[in-house]
Amino acid sequence: MHKLLNQKPVVLVMTALLLLGLFLLPILVTSPTLMQIFILVILYAYFTSTWNFVGGFAGVLPLGHSAFVGIGAYTSTVLLQTYGLSPWFGMLAGGLLAALVGVIIGLPTLKLRGAYFALATIAVGEGIRVLVENVKEIGPFKINGPSGISIGLSENSFTALQFDTKAPYYYIILIMLILVLLLTYFMMNSKIGYYLAAGGEEPEAAEALGIKVSRYKVIAMAISCFLTALGGTFYAQLILYFYPKSILGLDMSYEIAFIALIGGRGTILGPILGALLLRPVSELTRIYIGDMLPGLHLVIFGLILIIVMRYYPKGLVEPVTHILNKYVIRRFSKTDDLKTNSAADKAD
Amino acid sequence: MLGIIEALINGLLMGSIYGLTAVGLTLIFGVMKVINFAHGSILMVGMFAAYWFVILTGWNPYLAIPVVVPFLYLFGYYMQSFIIKPIFEAEKDVREPITVIIVTTGIWYVLDNLALMIFGAEFRVAKTSVTGQIFEFYEMYFLVPKVIGAGITIVCAIYLYWFLKHSKTGKAIRATSLDREAASLMGVKQSKIYNIAFGLGSACCGMAACVLVPFYYVYPTVGVPFDIKAFIIVVLGGLGSIPGAILGGIIIGIIENVGAQFMAATWTELLLYGVFLFVLLVKPSGLFGLKQDF
Amino acid sequence: MPLLEVTNVTKKFSGLVAVNQVSMTVESGQIVGVIGPNGAGKTTLFNCIAGALPPTSGSIMFNGREVAGKKPYEICKLGITRTFQAVKPFGSKTVLYNTMVGAFAQTKHLHEAEHNALEVLKFLHLDHKKDIVSKSLTLPERKKLELARALATKPKLLLLDEVMAGLRPSEVTDMLPIIRKINEAGVTIVIVEHIMQAIMNLSEKIYVVNFGKKIAEGVPHDVVANEEVIKAYLGDEYVATQH
Repeated sequence: MHKLLNQKPVVLVMTALLLLGLFLLPILVTSPTLMQIFILVILYAYFTSTWNFVGGFAGVLPLGHSAFVGIGAYTSTVLLQTYGLSPWFGMLAGGLLAALVGVIIGLPTLKLRGAYFALATIAVGEGIRVLVENVKEIGPFKINGPSGISIGLSENSFTALQFDTKAPYYYIILIMLILVLLLTYFMMNSKIGYYLAAGGEEPEAAEALGIKVSRYKVIAMAISCFLTALGGTFYAQLILYFYPKSILGLDMSYEIAFIALIGGRGTILGPILGALLLRPVSELTRIYIGDMLPGLHLVIFGLILIIVMRYYPKGLVEPVTHILNKYVIRRFSKTDDLKTNSAADKAD
Repeated sequence: MLGIIEALINGLLMGSIYGLTAVGLTLIFGVMKVINFAHGSILMVGMFAAYWFVILTGWNPYLAIPVVVPFLYLFGYYMQSFIIKPIFEAEKDVREPITVIIVTTGIWYVLDNLALMIFGAEFRVAKTSVTGQIFEFYEMYFLVPKVIGAGITIVCAIYLYWFLKHSKTGKAIRATSLDREAASLMGVKQSKIYNIAFGLGSACCGMAACVLVPFYYVYPTVGVPFDIKAFIIVVLGGLGSIPGAILGGIIIGIIENVGAQFMAATWTELLLYGVFLFVLLVKPSGLFGLKQDF
Repeated sequence: MPLLEVTNVTKKFSGLVAVNQVSMTVESGQIVGVIGPNGAGKTTLFNCIAGALPPTSGSIMFNGREVAGKKPYEICKLGITRTFQAVKPFGSKTVLYNTMVGAFAQTKHLHEAEHNALEVLKFLHLDHKKDIVSKSLTLPERKKLELARALATKPKLLLLDEVMAGLRPSEVTDMLPIIRKINEAGVTIVIVEHIMQAIMNLSEKIYVVNFGKKIAEGVPHDVVANEEVIKAYLGDEYVATQH
């Protein structure tokens, strides 16, 4: 914990201001459409951060992660509708189920090489989607196949995870995001984090140092799937209607992966940066140009992806932190603080 | 019973066409060790090109071949040269060139959605002289364009196989896919080979596109199902193996068509994914693939 | 009981016999060398002991336990750590980070791992470079890092795979006292090497391997005079050491 607080004073102040701003946001913003955009930005920052456990730290490229969003959404909703179970418990159930599925998938596939793992995740992701599309009910649970599920409006309450205004949704997902980021930070600076980094970079050397690489990758997978599913439940409660293509589709899987990659996989700030930049682009093009030129926002997305990967394959987080460092942090730091600059940055 | 044999033969026919797209993919995959997620989109571009050729000229669709195939060859060649190459070079020492995979996915998105923007989402059908014609064989009916298409693709595959085995460029390509460092030490210019490989792979799509247009719907995301099947086939047949790609294509075509006799189309999709995962996990090098460390 | 007992280990690769009934023993605290011309099978033998390859037959006993066929990470946990001929640092990470990865083999706490890693780095005089990103190190520094990482796992037996490969003669001379120092600190060492100077200088006992078979064993001075060994090495140079 002390390491976290041991940053330069400027950084701490900036973070504090940022947090303050984030928490005060709903008071300043009144338009529900705008709030929805903010909520989705934070939600995608959440999804990319949980994706990061596998895509960043385990060093592989999962392209089917929407499957876990869907598992979360379907599990909690189905439990809500059949047993009246509060979505908070449903969330936990969804998370555990997702973790289980993730481990089952991960055990055989995490041993595959990059390209093959990516293909396998697509096959599994699409497979799950097709499966859900073809199933009307499993036992007492109504899944409704391709038509999806609609969550009935209920009272404005915390236990039902449904609210009249956007603000409560915003705070919930913001807190979830902060918790995931803290978890990421602590994991990076722990045995698991070191082992995952080692296994991802030089698996042979890692094995020779006593690391069973596959075991740690599976652990990362389980954590990632669990957390992703929690977000899935939140998403379901936010939009109140979903169907297989919307929540289990390749589009969502790709969007999550792309945002993380453009922002910078394997870092804490990367996914957030990506979400901050790309989600608004996605929403705004969809709202304003969507009807006239369908698909334009995806063209823009694709182009941004190509251009960023061409010049900054590690993601935009590198140049952005570099600029931040140069123009902001240095300006406000005392000169002897600057000497310890490079070391602290590298340990990031 | 007859239904099953008909399905089997249809599977064989459609499968060889799938096989040709897979041949293109395996060529690129084998030489550059890179997954080209944009492969389906390239096929889509070819299909639209062939479609417009037919609509605008009204000629026999197979006359589109000498136009579309070279066009796609150049399309692929320059796409690799301008977009993919710089990224590939930057990642040369990295163990897993994931960035290239990401970029090809970006290209896929751009191409598919540009097509959506320009042409709209409708499903188009080209009315050609062969469209809808049926060929009868012992009380089983087959679409003429499908039969012609399968024939053409097999001829192409044989030609490609011969080309790779005996021509100078072909040997250079094979050398690069086996050991790129050794090949470059032997005087083979890497970047040129990659461009050619990509061009050839795209040309295969072009050929498949021309052959498909007389009987298949043309729409912006038509590349997606072909792309996925192509990957399944490449893994099944073995990375870098042309006979493997054709054989794999036929197997997939048969599974798809015969499967459709017994279950709904969406379940056959699931079946194919199942086959794919099975191969990946049990014998990742596929039927004829080169030995790789997985 | 010897620390490491290799008995009649054979390794076949579909038709090719790379290692043919080789036996060797290593007592605790020794430095034992394994030499042989290129392609003699010493690296394959090494890989069998290290767990990178399972032997086709034979036994490898470490501290009384059978370890033949075990995976590398299991073998590391039992007390044998190896280094790689082509050094494999975690390039994007610092020297300290790299060493800590090794240290985590003995503890799960960050501060303990960091503390142990720093001690190892000090021992090898690499601590002033602890925050340097490892891919910017020179080759001899990377070799030292490889040693540091391995040492951080607190091995009982250290397997060095051609640790001198690629070093200039002066760098080889610098490396010798380091290895001796490690041994004096209580680590048993088996060193597979191609460079005679190093082996002659360090080993208490040498095994000579050629065409997969053991052709000689004994103290350096006897092995060098052995006719079989000289025949096998005809063409190689023996660099006389200067002390």
